[in-house]
Amino acid sequence: MAAISLSKLNKHYGSLFHAVKDVDLEIADKEFVALVGPSGCGKSTTLRMIAGLEDITSGDIRIGGNVVNHLPPRDRDVAMVFQNYALYQHMSVYDNLAFGLRNKKTAEAEIKVAIDRAAGMLGLHELLQRKPKQLSGGQQQRVALGRCIVRNPQVFLFDEPLSNLDAKLRAQMRIEIKRLHAEIPTTSVFVTHDQVEAMTLGDRVVIMRDGRVQQTGTPLQVYGKPANKFVAGFIGAPAMNFIDVTVRSETGATSVEGEGLRLTVGASQAPALAAHNGRRVILGVRPEHLVLGDGAPGLGFDARVEVVEQLGSEILLETRVGGASVTAARVPAETVIARDDQVRLSAQAGRLHFFDPETELPISG
Amino acid sequence: MFGEQQRFVLLLIAPAALLLLLFQVVPIVIGANASFRDWALYNPRKTWIGFDHYVAVISDPAFLYVVLPNTFLFMVLSVAGALVVGLALALLLNRPFRGQKLVQTILLVPLMVAPVIAAIMIRWIFNDQFGIVNVVLEAIGLDGQPWLVQRWSAFGIILLTDIWLWTPWFTLLLLAGLQSLPKEPFEAAAIDGTTTWRVFRFLTLPMLRPVIVVCVVIRAIDAFRTFDIVWTLTGGGPGRSTELFSLYAYVHAFLNLDLGRGSAAAIIGGLIILVIGVVLYRLVDRIAKV
Repeated sequence: MAAISLSKLNKHYGSLFHAVKDVDLEIADKEFVALVGPSGCGKSTTLRMIAGLEDITSGDIRIGGNVVNHLPPRDRDVAMVFQNYALYQHMSVYDNLAFGLRNKKTAEAEIKVAIDRAAGMLGLHELLQRKPKQLSGGQQQRVALGRCIVRNPQVFLFDEPLSNLDAKLRAQMRIEIKRLHAEIPTTSVFVTHDQVEAMTLGDRVVIMRDGRVQQTGTPLQVYGKPANKFVAGFIGAPAMNFIDVTVRSETGATSVEGEGLRLTVGASQAPALAAHNGRRVILGVRPEHLVLGDGAPGLGFDARVEVVEQLGSEILLETRVGGASVTAARVPAETVIARDDQVRLSAQAGRLHFFDPETELPISG
Repeated sequence: MFGEQQRFVLLLIAPAALLLLLFQVVPIVIGANASFRDWALYNPRKTWIGFDHYVAVISDPAFLYVVLPNTFLFMVLSVAGALVVGLALALLLNRPFRGQKLVQTILLVPLMVAPVIAAIMIRWIFNDQFGIVNVVLEAIGLDGQPWLVQRWSAFGIILLTDIWLWTPWFTLLLLAGLQSLPKEPFEAAAIDGTTTWRVFRFLTLPMLRPVIVVCVVIRAIDAFRTFDIVWTLTGGGPGRSTELFSLYAYVHAFLNLDLGRGSAAAIIGGLIILVIGVVLYRLVDRIAKV
């Protein structure tokens, strides 16, 4: 059992910088959790505190039920993959893989068996006698993964391991890590600034900002029910459109009005919005939930095309609606469309989000 | 004959080339010429005698059995000593502690002391009548020693002085090397459960190797031509027992006024340094490629 529990975790750097603020997080045994957020949000610091590479200022870290607050890294039984691989450049791949086990005075025969197994999983057999410098970035990261696997630790920690790889390799490695976790189910914490990595890899996703956890949930939860405007804008690519609108609640119908658009709000959201009648709120709608042409009644609006991005499989449209910039995805690739064209866009029913402009919290029924 | 750019380049290198020619090439040529002649100050004819001086030097028992072994022993021990102490201090200074900057500044003091001054201080410290070392020994009931009139104690003191003088240089360069090493492999090692000794043996040392080798090469060549501290501390004595190669050439050229023999010794020394330099540089090259 290697559940991880963080409670009221804080990290101060001097008196000026409060990097991690009251983080509470429960990670179940064998769960894969992705910590995601923009640069400087405290996700790497949190991971490094779990690893024991950073001291904690206050709070508790438990691994497998034991408080490890002041244990050195080697006594925590964790393994870590670093962004820049952190391989021992002067050693062969074999020696890199064997190093951790030799520290534990494991017999060479046992080490060989463990390395054979890891090399088999990661396709490293051909590379065992090479030095890291002679390997590509992807191969080096596989060696770094192998170094973790051979130690058979309680917890895997990943610190932006795919950031140094090109897009294609990143996608491949993502699959590899996912497959690996299925083969060797081990509690894993994966830090990334890439929300696609977080969504595809994590059983649960933890979104952080300015040292605080904004939301914890399954990929579907954080996508479908964002806890605040930040999460709504951070999760999903292209990012959610935000438009300032005013609530108009009249007998029998609630609608929102913005510059150049008036949308009817569905029955499920109307009561909550009605309480904001006459006030300004923020309408959020994901680009993939906007369709070209007339959709459900009361959900269409006119837009002027500013940029057409042809992706081959679909078109991304950057449009202007009044003063707001609105992106629409999933426009069929064959659509003939050009800059300055006037188009009709429609939001899918039940896919509108509303946020309070002051608290940035969702307004929902 | 030359393009504008080439003329400009020539203009830029001309001062350095001129200095090199006047103060390096010309003296070497004059010295080489002298080494083939009977160029003693009392022989104005400077008779050509071929390789006689060279034969005399390499068949001189004092050169073969005292000067050369002393020189190599000095080179190896002084470089090794300063390297070990310098590395230890660099490792100490590489981790933060209260007063670290102060310690670092104090450790650099020997670098600011002229070698001759250091040698004079050390000579007084080990003076058999008034030196502080003997005073302390006698105060605790031990016999004072005539440190500088016994071969191996005198040689030891020369080594000690040289190591004292050069340790800060090693410390400074190795500390810079240590601070430029990437942090992550050490963090990975910490997570891998590596002991401090294994981190030093299998990470720090191999990763620092290129810096160590460059330091050793530069310092070894420099140690080979050490003159000042030996001359000041012992003058090569007692007898000729602590004489190093540079003293040998100096004594022949400027005390015995036999410029020919002195030049021959200097050129033999130059050739030895050349061979050592090439071998060490090859070593650097090989290690840097690893």
